Amino acid sequence: MSADERPGLYVESTIIMTTVRVVAPFVLTFALFIMFHGADSPGGGFQGGVIAGSVVMMLAFAFGIESTQQWLDIRIVAALASGGVLVFAAIGLGAMALGGQFLQYTEYEPLLDHASKYGIELVELGIGGIVASVAIGLFFLLAAGFAHVAGEEQL
Amino acid sequence: MTLTLLEGALLVFVLACALGAAMLQDTLASVMSFAAYSLGVSIIWLILQAPDVGLTEAAVGAGIMTVLFLLALANTVSPDTDRLLEPVRWRSVLLVGAFVAVMGATVPALPAIGDPTAPVVGGEVTQYYLDNAYKQTDVKNAVTAVLAAYRGFDTLGEAVVVFSAGVVALSVLRREVFA
Repeated sequence: MSADERPGLYVESTIIMTTVRVVAPFVLTFALFIMFHGADSPGGGFQGGVIAGSVVMMLAFAFGIESTQQWLDIRIVAALASGGVLVFAAIGLGAMALGGQFLQYTEYEPLLDHASKYGIELVELGIGGIVASVAIGLFFLLAAGFAHVAGEEQL
Repeated sequence: MTLTLLEGALLVFVLACALGAAMLQDTLASVMSFAAYSLGVSIIWLILQAPDVGLTEAAVGAGIMTVLFLLALANTVSPDTDRLLEPVRWRSVLLVGAFVAVMGATVPALPAIGDPTAPVVGGEVTQYYLDNAYKQTDVKNAVTAVLAAYRGFDTLGEAVVVFSAGVVALSVLRREVFA
């Protein structure tokens, strides 16, 4: 979709670009902190994932949705979503393979100290990946508009 | 029940924003009002000692949802409005009023905030989690312990729901990739 079709959606502004460039790394770090530290303080995968997703939205506001989309390989977003589900399920099924119940983290204890804690953090990270990528994906989907769907129905 | 000034102000703010979201004719103003409502509710969650929920409300309700609404608005044509407020439909007011009355009738049955004799505080399940969560799962946040360990299977379902939402959005909009 070209810029002249939808005027006003993207405004190039030095102030916004500079601010986002400075703030984005901190927001991403904060998102990871919320995801990892959710085990010991408020937060977790759902919240951290949304914040991580908002980093991409911030970049899109500063540098334009089109260019952000080109910069960010969309396959990574899809891989994050599926990977999150797979990681979560694999941890759960792995515990069963070792002879325990689904998601019984203590089964990993012989392999790894504090297995529960790391298991939970990995699960949170998986959830974060799903939530972040779905948020980013919905953002790009909505930004692309619905013209193609309406066009098909008219045929 | 006593309210501090902050709580009272927040409740009034949230109510006003909710009314604004419902009544304002301009869709953009309505969306912004809805975002402000979410932000107010998230602070109320914080005051009610539920930081996990507050974080979610702030990030999802006030953040992502607003952005998605704005994008949807940018892709649609909104009619020119000359009035500030939506005309009041009394039948809707009656319906919503009845709903609020039914919900409001349950409020006196709720225990006071922080009441040590509230059933959920002394409950067997709550007590079990509080006593054993750290020993059994190695994480200090009991909410996370319940979410990812004791009720991990449910959480897997929740995560898959989010994943499916992405897949469904793709199929509804007839796309194969998020672009």
